[in-house]
Amino acid sequence: MDAILLSLKLALWTLVLILPFGVWVAHSLQRMGKSKSWIEASLALPLVLPPTVLGYYLLVGLGGKSFFGVPLVFSFTGILIASLIVNLPFAIQPIQRAFEAINPEIIEAAQVSGLSNWQIFRLIELPLAWKGITSAAVLTFAHTLGEFGVVLMVGGAIPGETKTVSIAIYDKVQSFDATGAGALSLLLLVISLVAIAVSYGIFGQSPSRQKRWRV
Amino acid sequence: MLKVKISQLSPNPLQINIECASGELHALVGPSGSGKTSVLRTIAGLSNASLGKIECGNQTWFEANDLQGVIKSLSPAERTCGFLFQQYALFPHLTALENVCIPLQNSGFELAKRKTIALDWLRQMGIADLAQRMPHELSGGQQQRVALARALAKKPSALLLDEPFSAIDAPTRQSLYKILAELRKELNIPILLVTHDLREADLLADRITVIDQGLGLQTAAPQVLFQKPRNSRVAELVGIGNLFEGVFTSGKLTWNQSSHHFDVVDKGKIPPGTPVAWVIPADGLSLHDESNVNSIEAYVEQMSTLGQIAVIQLLVNNAAHTITWEASAAEVRRLGLEVGKNTHVEIDGNKIHIMPLRPINDPRRFTS
Repeated sequence: MDAILLSLKLALWTLVLILPFGVWVAHSLQRMGKSKSWIEASLALPLVLPPTVLGYYLLVGLGGKSFFGVPLVFSFTGILIASLIVNLPFAIQPIQRAFEAINPEIIEAAQVSGLSNWQIFRLIELPLAWKGITSAAVLTFAHTLGEFGVVLMVGGAIPGETKTVSIAIYDKVQSFDATGAGALSLLLLVISLVAIAVSYGIFGQSPSRQKRWRV
Repeated sequence: MLKVKISQLSPNPLQINIECASGELHALVGPSGSGKTSVLRTIAGLSNASLGKIECGNQTWFEANDLQGVIKSLSPAERTCGFLFQQYALFPHLTALENVCIPLQNSGFELAKRKTIALDWLRQMGIADLAQRMPHELSGGQQQRVALARALAKKPSALLLDEPFSAIDAPTRQSLYKILAELRKELNIPILLVTHDLREADLLADRITVIDQGLGLQTAAPQVLFQKPRNSRVAELVGIGNLFEGVFTSGKLTWNQSSHHFDVVDKGKIPPGTPVAWVIPADGLSLHDESNVNSIEAYVEQMSTLGQIAVIQLLVNNAAHTITWEASAAEVRRLGLEVGKNTHVEIDGNKIHIMPLRPINDPRRFTS
């Protein structure tokens, strides 16, 4: 039970911190020139880097003399930072695609209508990119619940502090607790299925019943 | 009054000087890629020119010169102009009413008041009953009416229309022309219309500026433009059919590849022996059964009848030139015209309009 609560806590904190950042980065990337592809490439790095390699560097970075002054390894803050880094591509890419899909003429129409940049963002871009933001949230949430390698490297398996569901499953298999491992695995499977269903719009609404935005 | 004097070399060359008075509808006409839309975008502040000045009323929207670079450039939001896009550009997540409310966002009015104003505009466009529809539930014509209401909602000091009717079917277009004509009287602001359709410009505009490759070639009232194009490129662009070349020497025009001469009145500005282009309007042409001193022998090559109007293609000067002649069906019967028959065409020298072969600001304009 501890492991489930901890995983949920980690997933929620990751979501709360990464979404505003993801929206900001994705939005800023649109207006960038040449440096854009470099930044995009480095943001996608966690996708291809083996979790153990990423975990190793985080272990070194967050250890004894971490950037933050105090050691953060084997603590909840440590695995939260690791989780934020691992999830960057999952959060940013769908939002970026959604912003890119907005017809530039619509933004120009908003400009000549007299809206400020902030109003354009709030009243036009954000609502139009909403699907991408939802799908980024779902992917990040599900991915954090299932993250194993990096969390294990950085956090170890301290019950109540860093022992998430995935690590608990691994522990139970190691100690021949097939029932416990099975139950937790089933739980993660259900959550993942729901997440995929949501992000592929299986529970989606018809266009006429889309969320209404007040002007 | 909207005064636009801009120039730039890149990304595409632009050199335009337009003045549009309040209540005037001024059309910018030219082939696609001629820079018409760039002019409109520059006025709206969606892109910038490198040199020039844009003024609307007593406000300067843009100013830049060689010495100081850009001195002033208001953002699109600060320039109080309404802009109508070719593809409407409605906000797809907002209802028609909410779309029209957007420009009123910073008006200082409360939401209820903003909605009343927006609904009034929709009513004026004749679509108040569609206020709660989403853009995808509207036809092209209805979407453009919403877009027009949106462009006008904040009471702009100029209205910019970027090919607003080109994506709309013909019957709907007619009703939008009517709305525009009515609005014009009421609004009394400068209206700039970009179009590639000359008939549309002729129908709606008080004055037309012909643009080619970013260069404003001629600004004139439609009738003047069709009768007295400034040069052969303008004549070509406005689709004048009977456009020929010749050589002009003190009052006498010699038609190239023929032995014909015409006495033409000019202001004495053209040096002797100058190669020129010339046009003859429809009322300067007449056809006769019998030959006379001034007539030229012609051969009827093609004849197409559209209702009561017949368009006849005549070959003259041993088939070196084709003259297009429009006449009523009765006239055609009277002359007994039919394909393959010979006839005589008379060109009235007083109706001939001669002009340089090239644009007036082209140094090569007097060479062929």
